[in-house]
Amino acid sequence: MNALIISALLGVVMMFSSFLLKDRSTVRSMAIAGLLLLLVVNVLEMNGVEFFNINTRDMIVFDRFALLFNTIAFLSTLLYLLLSAKEMAKVGVYFADYLALIFFILCGVILVSSFKSLLILFLGIEIISIPLYILTGSDKRNLKSNEAALKYFLLGTFSTGLMLMGIALIYGAQGSFYSVDISKIAGETPSALLIAGMLLLFFSMSFKVSAAPFHFWTPDVYDGAPTVFTSFMATIVKAAVFVAFIRLFDEAFGLLHLQWQLLVAVITALTLFIGNITAVFQQSVKRMLAYSSIAQAGFMMLSLYAMNADAKEGLMLYVAAYSFATIGIFAVLIKMSDYTFEGFNGFAKHQPLLAATTTIFLLSLAGIPLTAGFLSKFYMLKAALGTGKHLWLVIVAVLMAAVSVYYYFRVIQAMYFKEGEGQPMEVSKPFKWTLVVLAALIILLGIFPNILLSWLYF
Amino acid sequence: MQNALQIVYLIPLLPLIGFLINGLGRKHLSKSVISVIGSGVVLASFAISIWVFLQVKGGNTHEAHYFDFISVGDLKIPFAFKIDQLSSLFLLIITGVGFLIHVYSTSYMHEEKTEHFGRYFSYLNLFIFSMLLLVMGANFVIMFIGWEGVGLCSYLLIGYWFKKTEYNKAANKAFIMNRIGDLAFLIAIFWLIQKLGTVTYSEVFTAANLAKLSTTDISVITLLLFVGATGKSAQIPLYTWLPDAMAGPTPVSALIHAATMVTAGIYMIARSNLLYSLAPLTMDIVAYVGLATALFAATIALKQNDIKKVLAYSTVSQLGFMFLALGCGAYTAAVFHVMTHAFFKALMFLGSGSVIHAMGGEQDIRNMGGLSKKLKITFITFLVGCIAIAGIPPFSGFFSKDAILLSAFAKNPVLYGIALFTALLTAFYMFRLLFITFTGKFRGTHEQEHHLHESPAPMTIPLIILAVLSIIGGFVGIPEVFMHGGDKLGEFLSPVITNHGEGHVSHSTEYILMGLSTGLVLIMIIFAWFKFKNYQRTEESGLGKVLENKWYVDELYDKVIVNPLHKFGGFLNSIFENKVVDGIVNGVGRAVSYSSRQFRLLQSGQVGNYILLMVGSIVLIFVLQFFLKR
Amino acid sequence: MIYFLQTNINTTDASSYLPVALQVAFAVGLVIFLTVVTHLLGPKRKTSDKLQNFASGIESHGDARQPMAIKYFLTAILFVLFDVEVIFFYPYAVNFKGLGWDGFWAVLMFVGFFLCGFTYILKKGALKWED
Repeated sequence: MNALIISALLGVVMMFSSFLLKDRSTVRSMAIAGLLLLLVVNVLEMNGVEFFNINTRDMIVFDRFALLFNTIAFLSTLLYLLLSAKEMAKVGVYFADYLALIFFILCGVILVSSFKSLLILFLGIEIISIPLYILTGSDKRNLKSNEAALKYFLLGTFSTGLMLMGIALIYGAQGSFYSVDISKIAGETPSALLIAGMLLLFFSMSFKVSAAPFHFWTPDVYDGAPTVFTSFMATIVKAAVFVAFIRLFDEAFGLLHLQWQLLVAVITALTLFIGNITAVFQQSVKRMLAYSSIAQAGFMMLSLYAMNADAKEGLMLYVAAYSFATIGIFAVLIKMSDYTFEGFNGFAKHQPLLAATTTIFLLSLAGIPLTAGFLSKFYMLKAALGTGKHLWLVIVAVLMAAVSVYYYFRVIQAMYFKEGEGQPMEVSKPFKWTLVVLAALIILLGIFPNILLSWLYF
Repeated sequence: MQNALQIVYLIPLLPLIGFLINGLGRKHLSKSVISVIGSGVVLASFAISIWVFLQVKGGNTHEAHYFDFISVGDLKIPFAFKIDQLSSLFLLIITGVGFLIHVYSTSYMHEEKTEHFGRYFSYLNLFIFSMLLLVMGANFVIMFIGWEGVGLCSYLLIGYWFKKTEYNKAANKAFIMNRIGDLAFLIAIFWLIQKLGTVTYSEVFTAANLAKLSTTDISVITLLLFVGATGKSAQIPLYTWLPDAMAGPTPVSALIHAATMVTAGIYMIARSNLLYSLAPLTMDIVAYVGLATALFAATIALKQNDIKKVLAYSTVSQLGFMFLALGCGAYTAAVFHVMTHAFFKALMFLGSGSVIHAMGGEQDIRNMGGLSKKLKITFITFLVGCIAIAGIPPFSGFFSKDAILLSAFAKNPVLYGIALFTALLTAFYMFRLLFITFTGKFRGTHEQEHHLHESPAPMTIPLIILAVLSIIGGFVGIPEVFMHGGDKLGEFLSPVITNHGEGHVSHSTEYILMGLSTGLVLIMIIFAWFKFKNYQRTEESGLGKVLENKWYVDELYDKVIVNPLHKFGGFLNSIFENKVVDGIVNGVGRAVSYSSRQFRLLQSGQVGNYILLMVGSIVLIFVLQFFLKR
Repeated sequence: MIYFLQTNINTTDASSYLPVALQVAFAVGLVIFLTVVTHLLGPKRKTSDKLQNFASGIESHGDARQPMAIKYFLTAILFVLFDVEVIFFYPYAVNFKGLGWDGFWAVLMFVGFFLCGFTYILKKGALKWED
């Protein structure tokens, strides 16, 4: 609750800061201080210190899972702002407003990670989506950005419609919005109304996490949006929706697991396949990362498929590993003027530190041991195996992980093994240090995952 | 500090520190500092390894448990090292040979820029670290981490001279082929977790012995592990990367692609010998694949003219021998051959490096000849290596190869026959290489002739040490027939390795087999001598007129054996390797690339299309859910 | 006696929707009935003046599909936004006593945010008509 209220207030403060403060660096420092505050109050809440006591009639419950995820999300956002806040100012003139929108999105993130009622889920998803439509189109003079925003808006509304329809059907079937009540299934066979509603919710959530065949918006939007915001969208937002996805299907439809397990397995395999295979052919690193985010979503879907204790732990680790690595890569990518693979030629020579950290991020995404990426994939596969069914899914996942190595290593190869001009870029000391911290975090989590996961239990 | 076993963690840690110092400081340190750090850390590891080895020899084994690496539910995977007879032996080989190669590299790579010099040594140290992790780990996951690590280092080092595109391709090929094998390994690990809930060696083997795994499970797991081994150890069908990997610097080929990394597969199977002994089907497959690889690679080696390619195919062939031994249940023999092979193959690679160095980068043996006069030490040590690999007593190769041949004979005399034939081919092509390179007249350019020189001491000293080891290295495993209790190695390894189905061959048979193989090998060498002592380039086109008139036997031999073999070798090289194996591998790549292009077209950019596809899928899922399921 | 609008609320079979169906039928029927009846009964005199579009008495000219200043839309959207927000006051007004002081503080907070938004758009110049 601490973080929810404070982030909403911070959003309002950031909104007005553009009138009061003319200096952008002050606004930026304010945003970073605000995020630090969020992080602190959230960690305090994990240790039982609550500042606000509001009766939400159990529509929002902050359990360990939610709080741990919020901590990861705030930490990622903090690192993201440290790395890329300056670049935001280059997108357009409304710097403070972008930051305000990011704080509002964080409100939505908090809501979807802790909802117990479908109303809150819907509210959270919309609070996340609407600012994102704006951020996607924030580069107003760029036609691609405009197109992406319009597409995102149209398709997003479509999925919102599906979600509302689903919620309505479920209400019709069970007479309640609460997950607890929905999970009470009358008799042996669930009514067709409930199943239909569940499927509609499944589709709309799949859309938000860009699982195939609802992934079509992702490459266009990620590619068209200003790169700074793509980074945010592809990491923190996507992770939050995943957490909501898991929570929804665990708490509300957990008893129907057998009804949807095969469907999730098929969707997961399809997502993995389309994401990885299409990424192979891309010429632009940014677009490759868009497809790779679909592929990584496929891996995260495995936790939905398995839906056991391992899966939840694994998702936490996956979310952290994926967010950190992707934020790092995007932070470097933003600095480049040429987004093609060729643009990375000879990068190692001109920016050795950036190249080294980028290599660690890519290795983590590819799932090479001793990085967090390896362990998180390991947990996911372990969880999927734990179900004891559909072994083919695990094999598909492992094969696709092998394919992914190809396109991630293309970047490494370009950086280290090819000669290139090198692009002029201004890289500050703090930027470098933040990247090093990110890389260190990834390796640390790759060796001692328990420093993160033990938070779930004690 | 009383006990070396308490500081085993230093063995991998030191090279890691070396990697960090050299990697981070490569722009600031001078070449001599980098050399000292790079080699020094490996020497220190070697010293500790000796200490550890002595402790283990005294009967002290140890499992050092550091922390829980992964704990998911009831599955706990500790980060632990297992120090026993098998791993301590490998530690000695890796750090010992590794140190010699580091020293050699300080001179061999001296012309590189300081920055690249530092990069090279940091990769080399990282490799040693990963390899040590691989052999020291107390469970399959740690082994897998080392396994991936060595693959990565090999990728980095093959592509070390990154300015050449083909080298990059070679690096990619090596990495991707290795990944295919790694996948099988990974699936095997998951299978173990699924069935037993543990991956720690001791627990897995105990469980297997208590029949907690069904025969099918054991067969699948061992087969998957073996597929992993074929990738790393370059067996059919995943062997083609190894000859291509020769693009890397020569010391790298010696260290990674001859002495250590490629033997990881042997280590893995020897480590899991208890599992393999329970899976007779897998054992047969291992033996046949190993033998087939040994034979194929040996025939291809007959035709190669690149000095490093010959050695590469020879390595593939020797690895095949080791797998044959594993498949026959003679695990000790395989480990023995790993050791002796590490000595003489590293020796020959380093020797070839010395030759290439002297020739100013020339690798084609047709342009060499008569080098024995100028490169005396290299020649003598190379000769030692050739004798060792050919298997002439009392050089080390004789003992290990004999042990393998004997185990093959015990399993099936046909296997023995093919293996013996392969051994003869080995002797032939190795001496062909030796004679073409070192005897006869010099065939290179005048400039090269002028430039010829013996390599400096940091290069020749490792050669001499390795040559001595190649000569005496076999005495740790003298067969029972010669000396009772002579098989020190087998005795040493007996607590961890239980040889399986080792046949009882009578002493007289054993003597006959040894005599037969030695005699035939000698004849092969003499053939090679007459055929190649005055090698001329024109010979390649026809049958060599000089020889045709002089040696009727030779001609017959050429017609009946060599030509068909050459053709067969050429066939294997061009058809089997290029078309079939590469075809399959490339075909997979092309299929991926093709479907990638097709899937891209779905992404039309039209919102209407997207919605249509989405609604179509939704309707389909609804139909499936409501009408087909019931 | 039980009126049919009050029967069987607890059952969930189709018959329980009968009242709803009746109401829908009545609503639709009334509309159709009135439209048809006025159409039949009303006198028809078709002159050119009568067939023209009625635009509050101002003479109509040109096509309606013309590019308009974005400000119209902005103002319109902001109007709708605030209009919808004001709707929340109706339920509050109805339950004014029942909600007590808690309700009062909640609505005060709501109005506060409301004013924040209003100040924001004023400051941003969204309502400034002249450039």
